[in-house]
Amino acid sequence: MSHRPTGRDWYKDAVFYEVHVKAFADGNGDGVGDFVGLTGRLDYLKDLGVDCLWILPMYASPLRDDGYDIADFYSIHPAYGTVEDFQTFLDEAHARNLRVIADLVMNHTSDQHPWFQASRSGPASPYADYYVWSDADTRYRNARIIFIDTEKSNWTFDPVRKAYFWHRFFGHQPDLNYDNPAVRRAMLDVMRFWLDRGLDGFRCDAVPYLVEREGTSCENLAETHGVLKEFRRVIDEEFGGDRVLLAEANQWPEDVRPYFGEGDECHMAFHFPLMPRIYMAVRLEERLPIVDIFTHTPPIPPSAQWGLFLRNHDELTLEMVTNEERAFMYYAYAQDPEMKLNLGIRRRLAPLLDNDRRRVELLNSLLLTLPGSPIVYYGDEIGMGDNVYLGDRDGVRTPMQWSRDRNAGFSAADESTLYLPVITDPVYGYQAVNVAAQARTPSSLLNAMKRLIATRRTSPAFGRGAIEFLRPRNQRILAYVRRHQRDTLLIVNNLAGSPQPVELDLRGFAGSTPVEMLGQTRFPTIGEAPYFLSLGPHGFYWFRIERPDEGDEPYGIEDTAI
Amino acid sequence: MTDAGRAPTPPSEIDRQLAALGPREIVVGLPTYNNAATVATVAAAVRAGLAAHFPDAPAALVNIDCGSADGTPELLADAGVPVALARHDAPIGERATIPFHGLPGRDAALRLAFDAARRLKARVLVALEADVTSISAEWIDRLVRPVWEDKADLVVPAYARHRYEGTLTNLLLAPLVRALFGRRLRQPLGGACALSARLLDHVVAHPDLPSTGRDLVDLWVTGRAIADQFALGEAWLGPRRVESRTRMTDLPTVVAQVLSALFTVMERYEPLWLGVTGSEPVLAIGEPVVPGPEPTTVDVERMVGAFRRGVRDLVEIWAHVLAPETLGDVLSLDVRDAGTYRFPDPLWARVAYDFALGHHYGVIHRDHLLRSLVPLCLGRTAAFVIATRAASGAETDAALEKVGAAFEREKPYLTERWH
Repeated sequence: MSHRPTGRDWYKDAVFYEVHVKAFADGNGDGVGDFVGLTGRLDYLKDLGVDCLWILPMYASPLRDDGYDIADFYSIHPAYGTVEDFQTFLDEAHARNLRVIADLVMNHTSDQHPWFQASRSGPASPYADYYVWSDADTRYRNARIIFIDTEKSNWTFDPVRKAYFWHRFFGHQPDLNYDNPAVRRAMLDVMRFWLDRGLDGFRCDAVPYLVEREGTSCENLAETHGVLKEFRRVIDEEFGGDRVLLAEANQWPEDVRPYFGEGDECHMAFHFPLMPRIYMAVRLEERLPIVDIFTHTPPIPPSAQWGLFLRNHDELTLEMVTNEERAFMYYAYAQDPEMKLNLGIRRRLAPLLDNDRRRVELLNSLLLTLPGSPIVYYGDEIGMGDNVYLGDRDGVRTPMQWSRDRNAGFSAADESTLYLPVITDPVYGYQAVNVAAQARTPSSLLNAMKRLIATRRTSPAFGRGAIEFLRPRNQRILAYVRRHQRDTLLIVNNLAGSPQPVELDLRGFAGSTPVEMLGQTRFPTIGEAPYFLSLGPHGFYWFRIERPDEGDEPYGIEDTAI
Repeated sequence: MTDAGRAPTPPSEIDRQLAALGPREIVVGLPTYNNAATVATVAAAVRAGLAAHFPDAPAALVNIDCGSADGTPELLADAGVPVALARHDAPIGERATIPFHGLPGRDAALRLAFDAARRLKARVLVALEADVTSISAEWIDRLVRPVWEDKADLVVPAYARHRYEGTLTNLLLAPLVRALFGRRLRQPLGGACALSARLLDHVVAHPDLPSTGRDLVDLWVTGRAIADQFALGEAWLGPRRVESRTRMTDLPTVVAQVLSALFTVMERYEPLWLGVTGSEPVLAIGEPVVPGPEPTTVDVERMVGAFRRGVRDLVEIWAHVLAPETLGDVLSLDVRDAGTYRFPDPLWARVAYDFALGHHYGVIHRDHLLRSLVPLCLGRTAAFVIATRAASGAETDAALEKVGAAFEREKPYLTERWH
């Protein structure tokens, strides 16, 4: 439809939806979600109002890291279907004006990948230099270990080649050697293969680690940016410039900033530090953590965009908070030690917020109105729960809850064959939380999300506008103005669980009228005096600021329309 | 009758007044609500009109007031015409929002006027609007005489208008009424009307006379009179100038109220329209006046802007209401160049019929449905203004005739989908 994001920078207006193929819908009844099942649920996603799906790794893989250990870049994991199934899915998505980006792990492969098997066979192999080998485990000592719970070193000894190979993640995930031009060519061919099929872009996993240099942290190196710029240039040239690269760089904003280049590197990058601070701000009932992180967020090129999220398939990452903040977050959100994982908290949105509907909506209000493109994690739109007693990060990757039918309507398989058990606890279990029930309930979270997303679509200022924070005396109120061309929005959020008054200095808008966007209610006209509002617990307002020359002007036909 | 029509005035009181008046050949019904500023003007025109044109006919004015706080009925008590004063309470829902004709509970007021006229054994009931100050003695003659002389049973007004006045009537209401009922009325819902004793007897005794709902009586009486072969006349009056503090001019509210009334009549009284094909002109009383070609004061740019915003914001609502091909055609209207932008008549007819069908089937909340029609109305109006900007009054009239003809041609689209 005409108002769907179009044009080369469509991603600036888009709402993304992160979905795991295995977790969404099982089309063949084997207990694992697949592309046939996902295709059958596209109408639901279209109805939800999202614009672009982000598919977690879908490639052939031993699945020792949930697919982030790719064994063949050119095939779909057999449990998820075939390349033909994927093509059908992609075409059906496009037919609904939904775009699709897919995860691509650029930094490493599975140790099962034929490249690695050939590489380990010896230095004479044509693939010998596809990976980073060393006779000793002493190089690159300044590089930190990321998975501190499981890995002792970034080097692992390979008994076949009798040498150490470099890995920033698990020991079964050897890092590719981007100093080797053949690796860069091979990876570009992989990208071409999927873009030729119509894929709208990639979410590039773990990009800061592509290149290693002695004496550095081996993160964010200039050489790594060089590789990404090269990829961007080739993709732009060959595919018309509307395919996106979304960088996963779990770094401080000023360290992420270079991944945008001068608009010639990645189109988008996740804003990692914002997310924990949103939770902090709500728990502290205090706006400072959010305002503060934006003062530390550098401007980005006009064509670039931040990716915002509340939760994703990984743990709620606390890498980007201080130790003190981290302790507070653990205290506030993860009092059960099982909930901690690495430096994060493995919980879904609703349980993190004690299933408090008002807080869930407030956080989604923030997600949809702060500068960037929002990414909704599958299931969070209905307030799904988690199962912290499943291993690793599986607790937030359980089957989508469609209905109260067997296996939550996810699969017709015997329940013992499901890839993970469905959530069955009394609060978040599929009997209580499911799409079918919420679709029928006008006041459900699902329908609230639909309304918020649909409202977000009515102004480009959400995706493109500059942000300017207001500084009312009440610290529990987070208020900001988003401006883009003629559109001006005023967003007011109450971070507190109690009703709050606020006086906003809106003198710059004197004579204008705030129109609440969800109900289209006109509020009193702004004057020179402080503008008084009161907000209910965790309440929020989205206003469109209507200038006096808008809206009330007559068409000239009203008085005598009949 | 239901509560909506119950008159809180003690029956004995209005009975007493009517009995005191005795038989009256001409009864003027005047529903009022806070019309103190204008009601004297109307009463003076009534007095002058009766004196000049019907000097020998016993006449009376029946005022039906729905709770004025400004002493309107008291002003009428000494209007120089024999008067009966009735009061009624408008239904609460109607008192909360003032309707487009400025009078809460108009249906109940009209029913009371019908009843009073029959009890006074009137040959003619003429109902007038208390806030129309351009009324003259001539209007009384134009409205009453065709009935008085047995040439018509129902006379409705047609006002002399600027060509961009009454756009909603011209582009939507009149074409719909024409296609539905089969008569080319210029200005349905013109406010005033005159009824013969025959028609009064017929409608008051009719089991279908609307006693619930809102703003239905005018349209139902028109439809009933046409369906049951009563003679219809259209009295050409002068310009209609309204001086009202209560009349609603908020376009979305007006659109919602007017179409809600028409769609409800369609819903409840299928026999009035479902089998009707073709259309006939209406007997003209007085000289028809083509629309005046004065320079336009309408803001086409803003209307086009509102239509564009509708396309941006309301597509998802329209998708529930409009048939896919209708929606596709609407979305592909090229509004970029205001000079060449057009809205084809057959498409507009299908839009209107899809909204009628959407209302019929209750596809979404009916008030939302009706309000979402507003940007489409503005888009259609803008296209009409653009297309006729350089046209003469007669050419504008011809363009409107084409709109009505398109609604008539497309009517099978509606009837085939109705059941």
